[in-house]
Amino acid sequence: MPYHEFECSKCIPERKKHAVVKGPGEDLTHALPLGYLNTIPGSISERGCAYCGAKHVIGTPMKDVIHLSHGPTGCTYDTWQTKRYISDNDNFQLKYTFASDVKEKHIVFGAEKVLKQNIIEAFKAFPDIKRMTIYQTCATALIGDDVDAIADEVMEEMPEVDIFVCNSPGFAGPSQSGGHHKINIAWIKKKVGTVEPKITSDYVINYVGEYNIQGDQEVMLDYFKRMGVQVLSTFTGNGSYDELRGMHRAHLNVLECARSAEYICNELKVKYGIPRLDIEGFGFEPLSSSLRKIGLFFGIEERAQAIIDEETARWKPELDWYKERLKGKKVCLWPGGSKLWHWAHVIHEEMGVEVVSVYTKFGHQGDMEKGIARCEEGALAVDDPNELEGLEAMMTLKPDVIFTGKRPGEVAKKIRVPYLNAHAYHNGPYKGYEGWVRFARDIYNAIYSPIHQLAHLDISKDEIPTGAGFQTAKMLSDVNLSEEVVSSSILRQYTGKYDSVSDLRKKTYPEFKQ
Amino acid sequence: MEDLKERIALLEDYIMKKCLWQFHSRAWDRKDQNENILTRTRQILCGEHVSLETPADRCFWVDAVVLADAYRERFPWLGAMAKEQITDLLQAVHERLDYLTITGSLNLELTDQHY
Repeated sequence: MPYHEFECSKCIPERKKHAVVKGPGEDLTHALPLGYLNTIPGSISERGCAYCGAKHVIGTPMKDVIHLSHGPTGCTYDTWQTKRYISDNDNFQLKYTFASDVKEKHIVFGAEKVLKQNIIEAFKAFPDIKRMTIYQTCATALIGDDVDAIADEVMEEMPEVDIFVCNSPGFAGPSQSGGHHKINIAWIKKKVGTVEPKITSDYVINYVGEYNIQGDQEVMLDYFKRMGVQVLSTFTGNGSYDELRGMHRAHLNVLECARSAEYICNELKVKYGIPRLDIEGFGFEPLSSSLRKIGLFFGIEERAQAIIDEETARWKPELDWYKERLKGKKVCLWPGGSKLWHWAHVIHEEMGVEVVSVYTKFGHQGDMEKGIARCEEGALAVDDPNELEGLEAMMTLKPDVIFTGKRPGEVAKKIRVPYLNAHAYHNGPYKGYEGWVRFARDIYNAIYSPIHQLAHLDISKDEIPTGAGFQTAKMLSDVNLSEEVVSSSILRQYTGKYDSVSDLRKKTYPEFKQ
Repeated sequence: MEDLKERIALLEDYIMKKCLWQFHSRAWDRKDQNENILTRTRQILCGEHVSLETPADRCFWVDAVVLADAYRERFPWLGAMAKEQITDLLQAVHERLDYLTITGSLNLELTDQHY
């Protein structure tokens, strides 16, 4: 597995050890990119900071909370609304964001007073919300503001409120991943065990590392409820502040995004003896195995199997319709952290695409181990790429589509490579059986969009085929398919609704005797 | 011998592509996971009793059950092997997995005291 040196990064020789190609017959002991290190000066990274990791990724998906950044408004703006972690309380945490609006004078004279004013003002402006998280930022951390002391003062004056302080300023780690670690540890130290939850089932889990992107959590909750499993808390998508204070009473922690939330699972294991089970909500086979494992753990495997059988029968013909049309298409899998390994193998196996490159913006070497183990030979694996490296990789590998965030995604469009939003999704949710078909549909639409075909023409020099009619996506995708596949009475395109989540909120579930 | 090597590679490939439990973040944690899950997988494949006394036991066991079922389904030759042969095979897979994920791993965080 040789290291890969980008032409554009020859002037930054340290970058060479951050990229490898998975060679034939080689394994993880031959080479592994470096990871979770400070970005090398001169390399324009696509990473977020540790404050962003704590607030934007993990803190803010909590739904019934005023999320207040103690710092300039710019910090808040950059962590607001750019990820679609919806919630079933009218998206309170997405609609509103709060900052203490620190200015130069506060840096000179201290910002504790203005923080206290802001906390009280925010609670008064939203009298129904009694919970708050406060995020330290670079400026206020450097001047030494004692945020905990201010929070304690307010809680004394307003006993009906509860405040969580997250001390993870932007510089507290090489990337957002440093912030994931800090908020995990702070939450278990300060808040877990401070509320006693009501237990309503013999089977109780915490659903950890799940952020309800476009409704992912609600889809998975539907399966758990159908199994009679009580989800005590979700860390943190669509999760409730007080429910998360009661995490210590679960029987099992099921973990999805290990990159952002394994820390709290590991601590819950040590402190309360709750075991950690790594699961996957993406892809038919990994999801089925995961539901089965939870069923086995509680001795209710038949309930899990019933869901697996029903959902597979309903959605597999639709997944296979897309698989026939996506076979052999080249994909660059360039997400932030965990989707690198959640998706690397299963999109190849269940959708037929070829993963030609994996990268992670902020992942650790452990993420690369998982991702490289799961992708096929020849794939290029890159840690913390810069924009030029991304461009060079796309020019060389010529992918049909890339899955990434919107900043590198827009760069890809400029060189006529379609992209799907791997962080916030295009038309998610992508978890669950139906969600996986929605993902396949989005990939299909990205690759075969007639508009995308037209984008390859340069009106300044190419001949424009004015005599040719407009082509549909299906005309483009079916051109080389066999008649048997094209006219199959079994395979079909996605038949779900535009909104696959809202109905779940009205659904009733069978009651299982305790 | 070639046959055994091929079989080890197949079982190893399945774990590396489909499982996550072997990739916990610390060397001691990985050792614990590999030992507990592969021991129970061997016990299941050999038809032996598996202890389920604690929640941790059950958690290791569920990963082992799903792995053993997948092995039986994908590798029917396991059904024709004697218990001793299965034990030797799983022992070899265990050693290989420990090498890939712990002793031969290039992951510098596995032994980082400040992680």
